[in-house]
Amino acid sequence: MPPVDLEFYSSCTLDQDGCTTCGDVAVPVHVVKVEGCEALVEDRLGQQASVATDLFPDLQIGDVLLVHMGVAIHRLPPPSSVQEEP
Amino acid sequence: MKYVDEFRDPQLIEKAAAEIRRLAHPERRYRIMEVCGGHTHAIYRFGLQDLLPENLELIHGPGCPVCVLPMGRVDDGLKLAQNPQVTLTAFGDMMRVPGQMGSPLELKAKGADIRMVYSPLDALKLAEKNPDRQVVFFAIGFETTTPSTALTVLRAQKMGIENFTVFSNHVNIIPAMRAILDSPEIGLDGFIGPGHVSTVIGAAPYEAIAREYGRPVVVSGFEPLDLLQSLVMLLRQLNQGRAEVEIQYERAVWEGNRAAQAVMAQVFELRPTFEWRGLGFIADSALKLRPAFAAWDAEVRFGVAGVRATEPGAAQCGEVLRGLLKPPQCQLFGKACTPEHPLGALMVSSEGACAAYYNYHRGPVAAED
Repeated sequence: MPPVDLEFYSSCTLDQDGCTTCGDVAVPVHVVKVEGCEALVEDRLGQQASVATDLFPDLQIGDVLLVHMGVAIHRLPPPSSVQEEP
Repeated sequence: MKYVDEFRDPQLIEKAAAEIRRLAHPERRYRIMEVCGGHTHAIYRFGLQDLLPENLELIHGPGCPVCVLPMGRVDDGLKLAQNPQVTLTAFGDMMRVPGQMGSPLELKAKGADIRMVYSPLDALKLAEKNPDRQVVFFAIGFETTTPSTALTVLRAQKMGIENFTVFSNHVNIIPAMRAILDSPEIGLDGFIGPGHVSTVIGAAPYEAIAREYGRPVVVSGFEPLDLLQSLVMLLRQLNQGRAEVEIQYERAVWEGNRAAQAVMAQVFELRPTFEWRGLGFIADSALKLRPAFAAWDAEVRFGVAGVRATEPGAAQCGEVLRGLLKPPQCQLFGKACTPEHPLGALMVSSEGACAAYYNYHRGPVAAED
């Protein structure tokens, strides 16, 4: 099970990541395994993929990333640190 | 708010819509542009326009990369593919974008070596496995996608892969927003700012838009409630005479990703000018590889024809892109131009205004001829 509710960030999943060229749709995932500049990540449905993590050299298992086109582009804060109400 | 269900909760959505109706002064009109194609898609998919008062109009912005790419650049890319040494690689949506010579998919059907890739890193792997081929990646996208291309170029350099080059069509969102505000006929009151582009660039770059043009910007998430909340925030600003940058998508956006900004700056530099479909030439709006990375620049290695193409006859993509026409007001919409047979790029991508309208709008569409 993911350590956080990835749905909190976005409903996108690795197989349903919207428009591939848009660049404004990205998939929240959590890190399962780190291997150099690559990481095995998992989306909210349990689907896994290997992504490039060059931008995050200090990555740790459990970190939550936003990935786009096979590359991690952003590290997300845990939901508990975000105060957001409708 | 922890689950997508809550961001789509009908009661919360009705509450937000009621607040929008309450805030929208009946004596004035509000024209709000959602910059991002992902937002356009969500607005049509969830029918949000139907919840809004008649005097609040959503204008669909330029945030769909394939939609704003002029046909000439498509043809430039296709001319590269005519080189017998070249394997041209492109994202899936790019494969269907029509140029004057047809789309990449059509050229592939005629025998050109054009392949679809999911990531620029896949194109690099293809080059590594095929050292006898010149693999060109048709790079396209805003600041969310540019770091991926930059990282791929850096990896190519590190790995010493010389048969990989990039045909860069990366663009920046801020100059496009400025160009839209500089077109007085569009007449916008404010922007729903792009969500994930802002995870890379942060919200600070919009400050100049708010300050210089006096237009509020609210950076929004992609769920229905995100978008309605963003509209509430925009209407409050407009009614109070404020023009500020606010972040609705706080769960993902704060200061941007400095590492991503650094690799983009390392690999790319601004082009003096670049053509956008519907918006014309915009200064400092697009990126090319820096001279230090010329070995991986397809435009340097192969030369680029610089094709200037006129848009297909009756298509009115430009007017739709500038918010002057709604998709069904184009005379080709739903007739000669459909998602199955797109004549204009806005009908290709799922994030394109015309494709989103065609796929999700529940009202009548234009009748067949």
